[in-house]
Amino acid sequence: MKPFRAARSGELVARLERAEAGILGLLLDQLEQLLTADLDDVGDDPVLGRLFPDGHRSDPELAADYRELTESSLRSAKGDDLAMVRASLPAEGGEVRLDADQAGAWLRTSNDLRLALGTRLDISEETEPPEEVAGEEDQQLAVYYWLTAVQGSLVDALVASRSGRR
Amino acid sequence: MAGPLAPTWTPETTSDERSELDRPWVTIVWNDPVNLMTYVTFVLQELFGYDEATATALMLQVHHDGKAVVSSGPRERMEHDTSRLHAYGLWASYQRDT
Repeated sequence: MKPFRAARSGELVARLERAEAGILGLLLDQLEQLLTADLDDVGDDPVLGRLFPDGHRSDPELAADYRELTESSLRSAKGDDLAMVRASLPAEGGEVRLDADQAGAWLRTSNDLRLALGTRLDISEETEPPEEVAGEEDQQLAVYYWLTAVQGSLVDALVASRSGRR
Repeated sequence: MAGPLAPTWTPETTSDERSELDRPWVTIVWNDPVNLMTYVTFVLQELFGYDEATATALMLQVHHDGKAVVSSGPRERMEHDTSRLHAYGLWASYQRDT
């Protein structure tokens, strides 16, 4: 991967290897399945609990009101972001070039993917990148840290382009 | 509009009730181990228009104290702010100010 940077045009540009684009595509598919699955099947999934947290922590009635008010629009916004990321992802790898709207979608979706993986892997502040990739969980952890690098470079590039506008 | 049949006596609000009504609502961001510090700062600037120093101070408060109040006002606005933060994956909730 060549991390994101702000181009002179204002676009955010990165380059992904073919394998990286493939992994990202798979993660998008998994997230989409979870977002579109029947809640009777996946309602208890802790990842959904993290992506759609309670709005109020101690009052179940307010939390239920909040959920009714916001969840369907949050869900469809996540779906729209995901579709925008997929459309701007070169399936065979190569250059990724994003305008401001696409960059916002990448920012939120890469965060959702990190939240999903982080919840599955039970990431804590003490978790560290795997020194060697020995098993399935190390692989997922390595993917998590790769996503962290992608998202981190996008945040840095957006901050740089924002201060450039001032 | 008060006509002849309108009650002439109105119940007094006790000071306890009044402070309950006057207390504003707040939106809180909670610490979580996944969201990047730079990302949290960026989102707080993007959503609330905070300057970099203010957003960074709030992010550090979340990181060190476990939570920070990022906005306050009427309940409906705090619900809205919470949902905007949830759209960015921040771990947020709203409640009456304590």
